[in-house]
Amino acid sequence: MDFEFSVVIDSLPALFEGAKLTWYITILGIIGGMIFGILAGLGRIAGTAALGEKPHGIFIWVSVLIRYISGAYVELIRGTPIIVQAMFLYFAFPMLVKAVTDIERFRIEALTAAIITIIVNAGAYIAEIVRGSVISVNKGLLEAGMSLGISRFQLIVHVIGPIAIRRMIPPLGNQFIISLKDTSLFIVIGVGELTRQGQEIMASNFRALEIWLTVAIMYLIMTTALAMTLRHFEKKMKMF
Amino acid sequence: MPNIIELKNVCKSFGNTEVLHNINFAVEEGEVVVVIGPSGSGKSTLIRCINCLEMITTGELIVDSIRIPDEQGRIRQIRLEVGMVFQQFNLFPHMTALENVAFGPRKARKMNKSKATDIARSLLDKVGLAEFENKLPGQLSGGQQQRVAIARALAVNPKVLLFDEPTSALDPEMIGEVLDVMKNIAKDSGMTMVVVTHEMGFAAQVGNRLIFMDDGRIVEEGKPSDVMKNPQSERLKDFLGHVKHH
Ligand SMILES: Nc1ncnc2c1ncn2[C@@H]1O[C@H](COP(=O)(O)OP(=O)(O)O)[C@@H](O)[C@H]1O
Ligand SMILES: [Mg+2]
Repeated sequence: MDFEFSVVIDSLPALFEGAKLTWYITILGIIGGMIFGILAGLGRIAGTAALGEKPHGIFIWVSVLIRYISGAYVELIRGTPIIVQAMFLYFAFPMLVKAVTDIERFRIEALTAAIITIIVNAGAYIAEIVRGSVISVNKGLLEAGMSLGISRFQLIVHVIGPIAIRRMIPPLGNQFIISLKDTSLFIVIGVGELTRQGQEIMASNFRALEIWLTVAIMYLIMTTALAMTLRHFEKKMKMF
Repeated sequence: MPNIIELKNVCKSFGNTEVLHNINFAVEEGEVVVVIGPSGSGKSTLIRCINCLEMITTGELIVDSIRIPDEQGRIRQIRLEVGMVFQQFNLFPHMTALENVAFGPRKARKMNKSKATDIARSLLDKVGLAEFENKLPGQLSGGQQQRVAIARALAVNPKVLLFDEPTSALDPEMIGEVLDVMKNIAKDSGMTMVVVTHEMGFAAQVGNRLIFMDDGRIVEEGKPSDVMKNPQSERLKDFLGHVKHH
């Protein structure tokens, strides 16, 4: 078996293009996923003692509704494979739209579908990370704050929030790396990300060893960059 | 002196289990009331009802002339006037000692930072921890943490302080420093205090009144020395026998 270094060099421009797209999907996916995750994670514990006092009157029912919607979202996404979610969004969803409305030419771009899939998928897992971190904050701290006459909102911002965020960082790092690697699945809907680029070069020159080794190293560089960014944040926070 | 706390026919249930049965109890301004009783007798629940960490199930609670349940919307007002010190300290772990104490004045009393910091400094000095102001709770001993917690409770300038077994989680050699701080507060400021504790020396020395609880009821009450010398019920005799041996 011979290893041709020139094959690696020749493939680099195309692979870099793929890596850029992978990075782009990942970053937008993570940002959107954080927004979804924080909303759904807090939604799952809305109106419970974990966020301070229990609500009164109509807010009891509002909080129950919010908990059910957030819970259904998380279970639906965790319970189905991401590749099925991507294919559903790209192939089935436009048909569904066509069937129930009279919009004839409804289409989702493959890249858009990829980004939405990462947002929605990562959001469900991040919701569980957010929920777990918030309920792990000692309830006595909330009681101490409430005993000082401080409002629930202030306590969420200044006590529960900062403590929960510190605890979220390691599992978030994990999820970000998983989401980055999940983008390789979008090969099935034809997004030209890194894995797809590798596959296409491979199909033209049959140099599996050179191409997949290079692709693997490029993923490794990106995941390491993500991990190091999170480590940096972890270190910057005052530890206790 | 007028009553600052009043409980009238108060019952408290968790689910279907009633843990406080028809409590009638009042505290005058400036009074130091010590509450004793076996584990599970409802001491914590009683004082947690006073600052509405637990809501009473039936009956009426009047704190600083605010009536519960009629004035549910003013619970925060009650909490501003009724501070609490916990067995487990519950200091905010991500804030320094100074930040812990200044947090209440800033967020509950809406003071500016420099004024809140001044108050916090003078209170840390009062509890003997001036040189520890930049330490995180994790860097302090249990006794030091509890003294910071007392300073934190005092910082919002409450009319009443509730203590729930403030020395029970401490190593024996640290109990004295915390009790000394509590004694000073009672003597210097004339603070109204309700203290759940098994420190009978403290009760005798500082308490104006001793209350013995058993099974969700107030069983005996009176001047601490009288209650300790002449227990009426078998339960209290038995209980005193146990604490004395510790
Ligand atoms: N949040 C709660 N939920 C259910 N039961 C509780 C709760 N808090 C206290 N209890 C029960 O109420 C009773 C009185 O408890 P507590 O007030 O903590 O007693 P004490 O402080 O005297 O040891 C106990 O039987 C305890 O199990
Ligand atoms: Mg207790």
